[in-house]
Amino acid sequence: MDFVQRKTADRAVEHFLKEASEKEIPLVWDRYEGSLPQCGFCETGLNCRDCLQGPCISHPFRDQNKVGICGKDKEILGVHSFVRLVVQGAMGYLDQLTDFAQGIESGEGSPKRKKEAEKIINDIKSMLGDRASDIFGKFPKPLTDGWKSTGIYPKGMAGDLFKVSQKLDGGVGSVEDAILWAFKGALIGCAAQMLRERLKASVFGDSSATNVEVNLGVLPKEGPNILLYGHFSPLLKQRIAEATKGKRIRIMGVCTDAFLPPYTFAPVTNYGSQEIPLMTGAVDLIVAGDQCVNPSLAELAKIWKVEIVSTEVLNRGDVSTFAKEVVKRAEEAFAARREVSKDIPQVKESAVMGFSTKDIDANKVLNAIKGGKIKGVVILAGCNNVKFTQDHEIVSLAKELLKKDVFCASEGCASVSLAKYGLLDPSQRETSCGKGLSDLLSSLGKNFPAVVDLGSCENSGVTGFVISLATAGKKQLRELPIVASFPEANRTKAVVRAAWTVAMGIPIYFWPFLPVTGSPKTVEGLGDFCEKNFGARLHVVTQKMEYIEKADLLMKSLERR
Amino acid sequence: MKVIKVDPEKCTQCHTCDLWCGTEIGSVAKELNDAIHENPQPVPRVYVEGNNFPLHCRHCEVAPCVDACPNGTMRRDPATGLVYVHEPTCIACWMCVMVCPFGIIAPSPSFHTAVKCDRCRNMEYPICVDVCPTKALALEEREEGATWYGYAPKRSY
Repeated sequence: MDFVQRKTADRAVEHFLKEASEKEIPLVWDRYEGSLPQCGFCETGLNCRDCLQGPCISHPFRDQNKVGICGKDKEILGVHSFVRLVVQGAMGYLDQLTDFAQGIESGEGSPKRKKEAEKIINDIKSMLGDRASDIFGKFPKPLTDGWKSTGIYPKGMAGDLFKVSQKLDGGVGSVEDAILWAFKGALIGCAAQMLRERLKASVFGDSSATNVEVNLGVLPKEGPNILLYGHFSPLLKQRIAEATKGKRIRIMGVCTDAFLPPYTFAPVTNYGSQEIPLMTGAVDLIVAGDQCVNPSLAELAKIWKVEIVSTEVLNRGDVSTFAKEVVKRAEEAFAARREVSKDIPQVKESAVMGFSTKDIDANKVLNAIKGGKIKGVVILAGCNNVKFTQDHEIVSLAKELLKKDVFCASEGCASVSLAKYGLLDPSQRETSCGKGLSDLLSSLGKNFPAVVDLGSCENSGVTGFVISLATAGKKQLRELPIVASFPEANRTKAVVRAAWTVAMGIPIYFWPFLPVTGSPKTVEGLGDFCEKNFGARLHVVTQKMEYIEKADLLMKSLERR
Repeated sequence: MKVIKVDPEKCTQCHTCDLWCGTEIGSVAKELNDAIHENPQPVPRVYVEGNNFPLHCRHCEVAPCVDACPNGTMRRDPATGLVYVHEPTCIACWMCVMVCPFGIIAPSPSFHTAVKCDRCRNMEYPICVDVCPTKALALEEREEGATWYGYAPKRSY
């Protein structure tokens, strides 16, 4: 139960904090402080409300209250807490996939590469049933063989994910069993993410690294502005972008995939400060999905008279009509909001984002590792978490690692965090990188920034990148010096991503700690048991640490491999 | 003298008070994640039992436990009026456990000493009051001659 001393490291966001406190507008940090102390049982995973006899807890200090009514003890409660997060996260990726695939199937989009799209859709259909997806063929054979021998090679959603979700209902399996089932569910999420990326490429064409500007300064003063929040069907995004053609309307994004060839939606801010763009007064209409969107936006939007349109409504109807309606409402909102004063802080950074696997020469990276030029590869992911100073953890960790010659790749909101501080700007590369890393990056290409962004969290850029390293090096992933870290993790999708990354053989450092710490067996299971089976651990770190200690932890982990 | 007032209407029996009491007062580590694995198991001083009522020491004006203690281990802090156990001299005779009208004194399961709530006398504010999410617990001045939260029997000897 710690108060956040410093709310954010982003000065554009800080600009608005004073105004918010003067006007008594509660923001995410105020709500967090209001909710302290958070429930200790929930924090440690010692609670359960999966049935109506409860809610139950396992009290760490009271002997008569150690097991729930149905007999779940602390170990089962802890591991179920993990399974619950993984299932919900996997569902998130499956939702993104099915939403997109159904749109294509019903003829809402016109795929550029029709045959490929059809093939992928058929694959998706079979995976939604009970057949394994062909996408698992992309993984190195020893890895999939390992999954088969431990029994976590997933057959399909109906066969496996439903089963994983029912682990929460009861049964007498061991903690290790439950962890393996959770990993099986996680791999379905992984397949969904990979399929979605391939479907996107076949429908919209391949995307390449693109120059964008990031942070609140990108909001223009003139003309209607539409912001896309969260994850929803790319077809709808495309239609909205098409409907604005020839008009002065600008479309930007928050927590959404920034690239949809040929369109680019500049990231205005990242997860932790997603309420702040409203405070600039320059936003006229928000199109919001469900995933990664704070419900607090609805109340805040009323203050600044901003329209919010939810994409996930029943009977949405035809995408094109919906998109035209959105654009029409944006224009009306702009006309009605002429009185609202605008305050746009002139803070922005340019960045190159959206590298794909084929842009990065895996052999050069591997040779640099072999030659001792770089110490290894660290993958930075995750959003923001209000328990830490916004952006501070991830940015200072990245800076520390870059100095020590570690190749850093990032994805999703983590990339936006890093971009806000110039770490994704190729012209600022030399100032933050060590000598060896700087040489490697310049040999990879002219436009390579200090941290290489592998695309939005909707895409499987990271998975593709690590597989390409394993294939090029003819080694297993568990033998390569690759470590992943979520310095400011937040969503359940981060947990499922952590789970499948461990299953691939890449260790994960996860902050804040997962709500499993009440169960020593689960912590051990995610540690030693995973090490034995997959050659990687999911580290649950409970000690408070400065970023320098975190960097040391990652460096030691790289050296061990 | 300030004592803890309990509002049973607000208590939801969430056990937050005894969880944090066990962590802050009962454990060695003082951090939740370490305290829950500590051996011997930390002992909370407050008991949430029965009808929405967290039981604390009432720090009675005439305290039977202080009277019953044979060697002056159960003491009253002259400055604050709070009753506490002076652990080094406790001989584990459990007389206090027997006479407490509220049943809030317990023998420690691991050490030869009685365990009871001292209303966090060394802290600025009692931890249970601090963490209670529904504000069922409050720190209030004891009313003169009150018997509701200040148990006051007459001396019978």
